[in-house]
Amino acid sequence: MLLKTKNLMKAFGGLKAIDKVDFELPAGEIRGIIGPNGSGKSTFFNLVSGVYDPDPGSYIEFDGHDITDEPPHKIGALGLSRTFQLLRLYQDMSVINNVMSGYHTRVKYKFFDAVIGRKKIWDQEKEIKDEMMELLSFVGLADYAELNASELSGGQRRLLVLARAIAMKPKLLMLDEPAAGLSPVNVDNLMKIIMQLKDKYGLTLIIIEHILKVVMDTCNTVTVLDHGQKIAEGTPSQVKDDNAVIEAYLGKKMNDEEMRKALAV
Amino acid sequence: MEKFKKVISQYPFLGFIIAYLVLLCVPTIFFTDLYQSHLSSLIFVNIIVAAGLNIVKGYCGQVTVGHVGLYAVGSYTAGCMFMYLGSDLWMTLPAAIIVTGLFGIAFGIPSFRLEGPYLALATLGGGEAIRLFIENGEFFGSTYGISSISQPVIFGVPFDTPDKYYYISMPVMLIAVYFSYSILKSSIGRAFMSVREDPISAAASGIDIKKYKILAFILSAMFAGAAGAVYAHLPPGYIHPNNYTVIEMVTFLAMVVFGGLGHIWGGIIGAIIITIVYDLTRPLYEYQLFIFGLTIVLTILFMPKGIGGFIDKIFIDKRFKKKKVEEGK
Repeated sequence: MLLKTKNLMKAFGGLKAIDKVDFELPAGEIRGIIGPNGSGKSTFFNLVSGVYDPDPGSYIEFDGHDITDEPPHKIGALGLSRTFQLLRLYQDMSVINNVMSGYHTRVKYKFFDAVIGRKKIWDQEKEIKDEMMELLSFVGLADYAELNASELSGGQRRLLVLARAIAMKPKLLMLDEPAAGLSPVNVDNLMKIIMQLKDKYGLTLIIIEHILKVVMDTCNTVTVLDHGQKIAEGTPSQVKDDNAVIEAYLGKKMNDEEMRKALAV
Repeated sequence: MEKFKKVISQYPFLGFIIAYLVLLCVPTIFFTDLYQSHLSSLIFVNIIVAAGLNIVKGYCGQVTVGHVGLYAVGSYTAGCMFMYLGSDLWMTLPAAIIVTGLFGIAFGIPSFRLEGPYLALATLGGGEAIRLFIENGEFFGSTYGISSISQPVIFGVPFDTPDKYYYISMPVMLIAVYFSYSILKSSIGRAFMSVREDPISAAASGIDIKKYKILAFILSAMFAGAAGAVYAHLPPGYIHPNNYTVIEMVTFLAMVVFGGLGHIWGGIIGAIIITIVYDLTRPLYEYQLFIFGLTIVLTILFMPKGIGGFIDKIFIDKRFKKKKVEEGK
């Protein structure tokens, strides 16, 4: 198992944002996480990536390491990369610098080499830059490399966030609503790029998405959260017909008797 | 020209050697009186401080208003070492760098929890505390200052006049700028920038935020320490607590802001321009602070990335347009 959580819990005051979630993800899989707003999907990401500290009793394991109480940068260094729902781009940095800062954990040279400015630094920097330019041209942003990230359009920003997350060559990539706010054509384009990147880098993916078409088409398995609890898990077609899921999304199906009662009151 | 550019980008050290040779010739060709040499040395001192301030303020985004306190620590480390031990610049410079670096840690620790204006207040308090401590300490020469600090002697030749001291301050400045260049151009500089832009997503990319924040403070403190030591030994070798007030801090901030926050040459451009302007407008001294304050505000409003960023932007846009036109064909 690449990622495993056991009894994962997080409460904000009295609200149980994540309530005893057991989650297992084998390497190579594409997992979708769906659920209504406020069901704890993003909180789940934040717990796994270390942005929030889980409540006592929780256990998270990534790639054989216990990461329950690790700070986010250590989790990142182990090869867990993520994107954010609100993108969190480095607005005032050039596009290429955005991507190159994602490369941080793979930089090989030592601190003092950089301070002294030895030649091997500049050689390596050039290699990094070439590799990152290749990645940028793969997602179609090579022309914009020198511009500030704040000058990009919404769709391009989503691609840039994706490139930045990939730059560290992660084992697991967690995408928090990668296609939010995109037009249908762009959604297809983005998903195509994500799938190509997955094959190219051998990624395992977790995708939170509200566009159900994306989830149903691309994911191998889907986990459904509601009120912080895992209410269903299975292949997309299984989940689609699951009563608990339909209830969470659309409300309860009533029989005639119940309907009459509800209308009478 | 293209080939030259390529060589320089592979061996940036060469560029600094060329700069050294050029600056070595400048006094003999252009300078007509001692005052110009003195002014150049002051510019070099300010460049060192501004380059350091650019690391912590421009790159790492930590608002520090106590930097002048660190500069004072550097100066007084040098001054006290001269006064009590009789050391010369070759001893006091490394000592000042180390001591100021340690003070930098103390300034950096509040940045773990404080941000923006709150951090500015904390560091302002730190800087002022250092100045008041010096001003009231007999050990530091209190309000008399420390005078006639010696100038270095090389092969029996004393570098005790402004025109000779130029040849001491200039290489120190170049080495400092070289270090700032190579630090900021490497992955360390990018890590600083991402901490400035968004700490949460920087952490998700595997960047240790606390480590880089404290590193930025230590590095920039070391620059301030070096500048302080060079300033202390600047002929006639006199330092006084009044040289390290908030007014000086505003001047340093004006340099970095005007030159370009987060631009690799920002502090240097700003230090040169502001020091010269400051000197030319000395007769109007009652308006100087007003003008510098106004400069900071106007620059942030209309040219948020300073002169350096403004010029860069022009070139970048030009290249981008050219690329688009080529694609159109």
